[in-house]
Amino acid sequence: MNYSSPHGGDPNANTNSTAARVAADPDTHQDFEPNSRSSDMSLHDIVAQDIKENPVLIYMKGFPESPMCGFSALAVKVLQQYGVPICGRDILGDLKLKESVKAHTNWPTFPQIFIKGEFVGGSDIILSMHQKGELKDLLGDIAQRDEQKADAHDP
Amino acid sequence: MMASRGTSAVLSRAARMRQKLQSALEASALDIEDVSYQHAGHAAVKDNANETHFNIKVVSPKFEGQNLVKRHRMVYDLLSDELSSGLHAVSIVAKTPKELGS
Repeated sequence: MNYSSPHGGDPNANTNSTAARVAADPDTHQDFEPNSRSSDMSLHDIVAQDIKENPVLIYMKGFPESPMCGFSALAVKVLQQYGVPICGRDILGDLKLKESVKAHTNWPTFPQIFIKGEFVGGSDIILSMHQKGELKDLLGDIAQRDEQKADAHDP
Repeated sequence: MMASRGTSAVLSRAARMRQKLQSALEASALDIEDVSYQHAGHAAVKDNANETHFNIKVVSPKFEGQNLVKRHRMVYDLLSDELSSGLHAVSIVAKTPKELGS
């Protein structure tokens, strides 16, 4: 990350408007202001939480139903074989999200796939795990859990 | 740094990647295929359609005991200069000499 100042911009800029907003809204804080270093930190937290909350998460180019890149399309296609709910995040339209995910994993390319909170890799790795039968073991209980949920909702 | 810049001007990206991977990984087999043509017109490569996408098959004893994520990281780390200078994506098959037989 390249920041000219360790504090990310002029701390005195817009002090008045920020202070007014902070006073008006207890949920707002200077840390969450856009275009500052702190906003990247909070995005980092959002990525971390996203990874934690979604058992099958893919940061990709486009969306699962409309991938914008062959590698992302391949990864989605592989995951779809297992009937698990797939949470897809498009990084093409959000450069900050893209950089934040890259910083989180220190992995240079997309797609990036997370299963049960663990980074598993990109499309080559997911395909290889699929071919070796490793993905079945890893995703098995997620698929099962989903089926049970579906059964429970059946009248 | 100057020296590596000097070579990068004359060598193709594939040749530079070969040098880096071969020497660092002591590869017993190394296939590098330029598949950039398959991605021509891709949004990310419109300005520079050359040498953006490669398939790499590499066999190295250094992959022994490393999972796939670690193996790919080793390759990515060696190619970090290339990734920051227009290399867009690599498809990696990384095996150990032992795994080749299986």
